[in-house]
Amino acid sequence: MKTEELLITAAQAQLALPAEEEGRLAAAVTEMLDYFAKMSEVDVENLEPTTHALIRDNALRADNSNPNNKFNNNQEALIERAPESNNNFIIIPNVL
Amino acid sequence: MSKYDTFIGLEIHIQLLTETKIFCNCKSNFGDEPNSNVCPVCLGYPGVLPALNEEAVKLSYIVCRAMNCDLAKEGVFERKNYFYPDLTKNYQISQFEKPFGRNGYFEYESGDEIKKIRFHEIHLEEDAGKMIHEGDRSYCDYNRAGTCLLEIVTEPEFKEPQEAEDFLQAFRRAVRHLGVCDGNMDEGSMRCDANISLNLPGKGLGTKAEVKNVNSSRFVKKALQYERKRQEKILKSGGTVIQETRLWDEQRSVTESMRTKEQAHDYRYFPEPDLPPFRPDEAFLQIVEEAQIELPLARKQRFMEQYKLTEVQAEWVCEEKQSADFFEKVVSLGADAVTTAKWLMGNIAKELNARNIAKTDLGTDSCQLTEKRLAELFDLLSNNKIHAKIAVQTLQIIFDEDKNPTNIVKENGWEQSAEDEGELENIVKQILADNPKVVEQIKGGDQKPRGFIVGKVMAATKGTANPQSVQALITKLIEG
Ligand SMILES: [Zn+2]
Repeated sequence: MKTEELLITAAQAQLALPAEEEGRLAAAVTEMLDYFAKMSEVDVENLEPTTHALIRDNALRADNSNPNNKFNNNQEALIERAPESNNNFIIIPNVL
Repeated sequence: MSKYDTFIGLEIHIQLLTETKIFCNCKSNFGDEPNSNVCPVCLGYPGVLPALNEEAVKLSYIVCRAMNCDLAKEGVFERKNYFYPDLTKNYQISQFEKPFGRNGYFEYESGDEIKKIRFHEIHLEEDAGKMIHEGDRSYCDYNRAGTCLLEIVTEPEFKEPQEAEDFLQAFRRAVRHLGVCDGNMDEGSMRCDANISLNLPGKGLGTKAEVKNVNSSRFVKKALQYERKRQEKILKSGGTVIQETRLWDEQRSVTESMRTKEQAHDYRYFPEPDLPPFRPDEAFLQIVEEAQIELPLARKQRFMEQYKLTEVQAEWVCEEKQSADFFEKVVSLGADAVTTAKWLMGNIAKELNARNIAKTDLGTDSCQLTEKRLAELFDLLSNNKIHAKIAVQTLQIIFDEDKNPTNIVKENGWEQSAEDEGELENIVKQILADNPKVVEQIKGGDQKPRGFIVGKVMAATKGTANPQSVQALITKLIEG
C-alpha cells in the first residue's frame, strides 16, 4: 500500500498517524492486502456471487415496539459504555 | 432568456410512518429525550443482528407503486461504508444495485401546466443520528439512527427552480395522502437535496453542484435560483464550475462551499450479509395494490369535473386525504356538493380553527362533526326546517356539545314550524298592524323600514323565522 493511500484511510477513520509509524504500518497493511489478493487468483468466471449462504426466505419482523425488550429499558447502561457521556448524550471530539 | 440550459435533480428523503425503526424495535419518535430510543442494534454494538421491519418494506413498495416504478422482484440491502459518527457502525445499511423501485414518474401542476418528472430510483435505508457541535465537543443523539428512510431520486430534468418547488409541494401532498410520511419539512421528516448544472444548449449535463441544508420547498427554489446565477456568472466569464457540495445559508440567502476536501466518494458498497434479499410474493403485492389510492392531483381534477367545484374549492378539499374523503362521504349521503365545499371552506374551517382541530381530523374521533351530522344539517337547511343563521348556530353546538343537529334544533325550538302552520303570516300581519306609519313608508316606496319589520318578526319568533320568507310576506301583505 502506498503511504498516500494509508494516510487517506487513516484520515477517514479519524485516526492520527505519527509520521514515524507510516513506513512500518504501510508494510503491515500491504502484507494483509497481499493475503486477500490470494483470493483474487481463484477463477470465478461464470459463477453467481454468493452473498447469503444460509438465509434464503424473506426474514421480516412485525412493526411493534416491544416494551419487554430488556434493552428498551436499559438505555443508560448502553450510553455509559461510551468513553464520555453527559445528559444522555454520547460525547466525542468535535468532528465539524 | 439565459443562453444556458439548466438541469435540476432532487433527492428527497422521507421518514416512513412506522412505529419502530427499520432493523430493531426501538420506537421511531421525533422529539424524545436524547438517546431514549436506542438499543445495541441501532447503536452498532458488536455481534447484533438487524431484523427488517415488514411495515417499512410495505410502505416503500406502496410509494414505488404509486410513483409508477418497476417494482423490484428482489430488493437487496447493501453496506454503504463511510466514517462519520452520525452512524456508529461505520456503514449505513442502504440499497444500491437492487433498490425497491426504478424508472418511475410523477405528474404535478406547475403554473397552468401538468408536468411530469421521472424518477431514477427509490430505495429504503436507515437514517443517521443527530449531532450538536459545540466548542471542542460533538454531542451525539442516536434516536433517529436506524429510523426508516425512503430516498427518492429524480432524473435531472427540472428546467426551472420553480418546477422543483411545485414538484416538492405536490410530492409532499401525495405522500401525506398515501399515509406513508407526515411530510413535515420543519422537523426533518421530509428533506431535500438538490443538484444543478448549466450547459450550452445541446451539450447535455454540465458540472453539477449539490445543495444541501434546505428545509422548505420555497428555500429549495431560492437556493437553486441563487446557484443558477452563480454558475452562469462563472461560465460567462469563461471559468469552470467545480463539482462540490454547497450549503444553503438561510439568513444570507446564499449557497456556500462546504470547503471539505472533495475526495471521490468510494463507499465500497457490498451486499449486507446479515439481511437476506427481499422477494415480494403475490400476497404482498396484492396488499401493495390494495393500498393504492387516487393521488391528490387526479382527485382534484375529478372533483372539478364530477362535482363542479371551482379550482379553489377542489384545491382546498383535496389538500388532505381526510378532508377529501369527508367531502365525498357527505355528498354520498345526499348533500349538495358545492354547498358542502363552501361550508367546509367557510363556516366549518372557522370552527375547526377556533377549536384547534386539524383538517386531517375530519372524519375521525377527534372531530365532533361527523359526515352524517353534516349531511343531516344540510338536509334540515334544504328542506327549510331551519335557515342559514340557525344552521351556523347548530354547527357550533355540534362541536360544543357533540350532539346530532336534529336534536339540537328540537331542544332549542328552532324549527321553522311557524312558517308551515301559517303562523308566521299571522305574526307578520300583527306587526304590520302595530306599525301603520312604517307600512305607509313602505307603500310610499321607501324600502329601508323593511329591516325594522324583519327585526320585529325575528324577535317575536326567537330567531327561527327565515328572513327571506318574512320579506316575501311583507311584500305580499303590503303590496297585495
Ligand atoms: Zn434500536
